[in-house]
Amino acid sequence: MSRAHDTNPVPAPLVALAAWLVPGSGYLLIGQRARALTISITILLLFVLGLLIGGVKVVDPPASYTPNPMRIIFDKPWFVGQILAGPITLVTAAIGKDSEDRVPSSPIYSSHARSNEIGTLYTAVAGMLNLLAIIDVTYRAGRSGGNP
Amino acid sequence: MSPLWLLAEYSYSPFFKAAPLWGYWYLLLLPLCLAIAIVYKSIRCDSMSRVPKQALELFAFIIVVMVLAAGALAALVNILD
Repeated sequence: MSRAHDTNPVPAPLVALAAWLVPGSGYLLIGQRARALTISITILLLFVLGLLIGGVKVVDPPASYTPNPMRIIFDKPWFVGQILAGPITLVTAAIGKDSEDRVPSSPIYSSHARSNEIGTLYTAVAGMLNLLAIIDVTYRAGRSGGNP
Repeated sequence: MSPLWLLAEYSYSPFFKAAPLWGYWYLLLLPLCLAIAIVYKSIRCDSMSRVPKQALELFAFIIVVMVLAAGALAALVNILD
């Protein structure tokens, strides 16, 4: 690690937010480009592979985000993992929902059985891996400016 | 019902329909395990140059443990039957 990163000018909460918005970008902000690229590519590839396997409808959002957070967790537990992958989850959910609302005979099908399970697993694991990365990069940013 | 319509209806279209992978779904666990190993070791290793080797070791370890666990569970099911 170079000396240029000994003092990190980016506050830790901002690094955490960036890491959620784009997986791996938090490491970029603290100057760890190789780690950022590796984590970013792996997590995004895993998420996209999940969508390729099960279709965009493996991201199944709750009907409403507002009333009771605990109910959301119990109703759609996999969505909690998926949302950790960042706004890409919200975009995917919007694409699936939008097509359903506008065209009743939408060409976007809900997958079933193994395809749905594996697609859901891929997208949720991508989100949970991003949570690990967010925690790690926030700790590094808060501690010593990105030094491991 | 025309065969062409059927072909279009049941053909795979990426992101819109599920991939026809029902026959060998278990192979899809390999990329998942590899991704977990890469991200975990990227977070844990001080130097990124050590990540490829350590991630491959972790990947192999996960696969071996999963195969052993599957074998043990299969044996248990056979014994209980």
